[in-house]
Amino acid sequence: MKNVRIWFKKDFECRYISHLDLNRCMLRALHKSRIPIWHTEGFNPHPFATFPLPLSLGFRGVNECMDVKLEDDEYSFEEIISKLNDCLPRGIRVFKVTEPVMKAGKIAFANFTLKIGDDRTSSKLICEQINELLFQDSIEIEKRTKKKTLKTVDIKPAVKNYEVTEMFDFAQLDITLSAGSTDNVNPNLFVSALFNKYNVEYDVDITRNELYNSNMEIFR
Amino acid sequence: MVSKEVERLLLKVQKPGRYVGGELNEVIKDKKDVDVRFAFCFPDTYEVGMSHLGMKILYGLFNKVPYIWCERVFAPWTDMEELMIEHKIPLYALESGDPISEFDFIGFTLQYELSFSNMLNMLRLGNIPIKSCDRKELKNIVCAGGPCACNPEPIADFVDLFFIGEGEEVDLEVIELYRKCRDEGKSKQEFLQLASHIEGVYVPSLYDVEYNEDGTIKSFTPNCDAPSVIHKRIMPEMDDVYYPENFVVPNIEIVHDRAVQEIFRGCIRGCRFCQAGFIYRPVREKSPEVIDEQCHNLCNNTGYDEVSLSSLSSSDYSQIVPLLERLTAWSKDEKVSISLPSLRVDGFTDEIMNKIKTVRKSGLTFAPEAGSQRMRDVINKNVEESELLKTCATAFEGGWTTVKLYFMIGLPTETYDDVADIANLGQKVVDTYYQCPNKPKGKSVRVTVSASCFVPKPFTPFQWEPQDTRDEFANKQQHVKESITTRKIQFNYHDASTSYLEAVFARGDRKLCKAMELACERGFHFDGWNDCFDLDKWLEIFEECGIDPAFYANRRRSFDEILPWDHIDYGVTKDYLIKECKKAYENTTTLHCRLKCNNCGAAKYGKGVCFEKRKNMV
Repeated sequence: MKNVRIWFKKDFECRYISHLDLNRCMLRALHKSRIPIWHTEGFNPHPFATFPLPLSLGFRGVNECMDVKLEDDEYSFEEIISKLNDCLPRGIRVFKVTEPVMKAGKIAFANFTLKIGDDRTSSKLICEQINELLFQDSIEIEKRTKKKTLKTVDIKPAVKNYEVTEMFDFAQLDITLSAGSTDNVNPNLFVSALFNKYNVEYDVDITRNELYNSNMEIFR
Repeated sequence: MVSKEVERLLLKVQKPGRYVGGELNEVIKDKKDVDVRFAFCFPDTYEVGMSHLGMKILYGLFNKVPYIWCERVFAPWTDMEELMIEHKIPLYALESGDPISEFDFIGFTLQYELSFSNMLNMLRLGNIPIKSCDRKELKNIVCAGGPCACNPEPIADFVDLFFIGEGEEVDLEVIELYRKCRDEGKSKQEFLQLASHIEGVYVPSLYDVEYNEDGTIKSFTPNCDAPSVIHKRIMPEMDDVYYPENFVVPNIEIVHDRAVQEIFRGCIRGCRFCQAGFIYRPVREKSPEVIDEQCHNLCNNTGYDEVSLSSLSSSDYSQIVPLLERLTAWSKDEKVSISLPSLRVDGFTDEIMNKIKTVRKSGLTFAPEAGSQRMRDVINKNVEESELLKTCATAFEGGWTTVKLYFMIGLPTETYDDVADIANLGQKVVDTYYQCPNKPKGKSVRVTVSASCFVPKPFTPFQWEPQDTRDEFANKQQHVKESITTRKIQFNYHDASTSYLEAVFARGDRKLCKAMELACERGFHFDGWNDCFDLDKWLEIFEECGIDPAFYANRRRSFDEILPWDHIDYGVTKDYLIKECKKAYENTTTLHCRLKCNNCGAAKYGKGVCFEKRKNMV
């Protein structure tokens, strides 16, 4: 039995499926591919797969991963890539299989690229707004808790680093935020803060890039 | 394929995965390489439509033809619809993202009457004139099929042509004719007239209806040489009929998220309330070898780990045990579970139970349909109370502790005593549990009793019957409720309003088209959903149009009245239906097709159960 980490991109139509649906898609693909994956041993056996950090609906993911247990230690990683890709919708593409180096619990940060803009507003102005907001000592935003009540959180401490770039028809924000099971901050919170502050609504396209551990080493 | 404009909306709506396509096994063609584009529309949400077997069959069949590209279209949910209207985005097909107005055919499958308003709404969202006469060119041919096409009259003004019966052959013949007509520069009218001569095609615009003063039909006259009777099409040999090796596998969870394998068409039983039991006659089975192969392929190609065997009554499949043996030979190793829906009370044997238990223990549902034996004889259900109790005992001994029982309220000749017997039967099932020596230890039993409101349907022996009024339904529901004395029984029922509207549409005539048109103008949609359904708004429209809904729902017809669907022939003769109706009044049952041929008329197709050897003659 060998633990393997399967790396994939989630984009195009598959941006719009939820984490639960992604899970279902992956299990079905694993089942169809006949790759020797360890199955749960309950009454309804199914392939066992875990996702180190779920991705929000609507985000593109270019370095997503899923952990499974391989029953055949000699099974080729190349084979896993090609077989799974044959069984997945075109919006999910596996590109790499590795043996996990870090545990999923080590994830501490995630890096995102946000493309923010619309046809009516100059990207220069949006860049200024983003910079102004991120320059504040605190960025407070109301967040819905699991108990459905609203609570105000400050997301400024979660911002590890960022860079704002003025592009031709949008403003690009590259931002690294706290992530993982304890202090996860969804970049959508930042977007809401921006919209609230300036009373605007732009199109936003969010991509999650790399995950990091607490020492800012790339999650592997 | 989604346009930039649509993408802007997707994060503002619930379940955006409904609107993007891009699933495994979706068929993408280059539109330059095809001659005919077919928009297959299901007038309900993605999750409902994607669960429908007929669509999967026809999608695969059409796309196998190189010159056809068939794409899928579903009704956008209300949040998406609102945004699409606001941003002027016309209804589009999932594969190409092209508006449906660019398609040669816009085909609807009509599975339930309450989806009629969605059909019109989808045309409206596609910027297509809803009335057939307003679409003058030979393009955007609006066609429809499915069980509700058996009485096409309430939507006769909107649909250019109906497919009557099974579509595998006739649909392709019509598409081919269209291609020829277009190449020859023929008009839409010329195309429709030619199409009306293909067996299984009904072109409503080629017929005139005259009415008597009392609103009943006086005459129904074909024009332009159209046939006076429209005969349904059937596929005689089930082993030869096309079956998809692949389903489009949705990325989001749908209602029936599993592989589906058809095992036979039709039903031997002839329950008198059941439309499917008459319009799909005669029973034609697939052989176990063919089912096994198709089923295995389907699981391999989709990755589903569950397959459900589909038919009107699975336990009536003549070789059910050998079939299950074949399937379980591979299903266990491949971790696929087999589910067997539509089990009859008398078909749940130890043998079958053990076969399905090896893979997954699903809930058990039986449909006695009526509480008293007299009532079950009236509807020809042919299920004895003792059989039901014996079956429940088998199930309880097999470890089940929950049973669902389905009933109908408002059946012809029903009395309040019959209604109370629904509760009594539930009680007897509870008692059976406690009398069972090998019942699961330390567990309580739960019996769910669901009662729906009976809707008389065309082509059944009850097609002349009045539906109970809504007040009567409410009283009867209350009566069941009061007759239940234990908490082990959960009673489910719902308001009769939807069944009332269903009854109006099911046996409606062309006078209803005016109301449908008005409903479309007012943006009616999703009548089958509680979120959207509002009977009062429909009643308002009926009143404005001078239509009395009770004329359709609550009126008893005489046997000699011309019914709106009399010009359509599903094989079963009207004389047979009258005979069955009279037998119902006498509480007399009819033996099923395998025991005795009752000369219903379906033997004229020359195939299926009508020509099987009857082994166990009584």
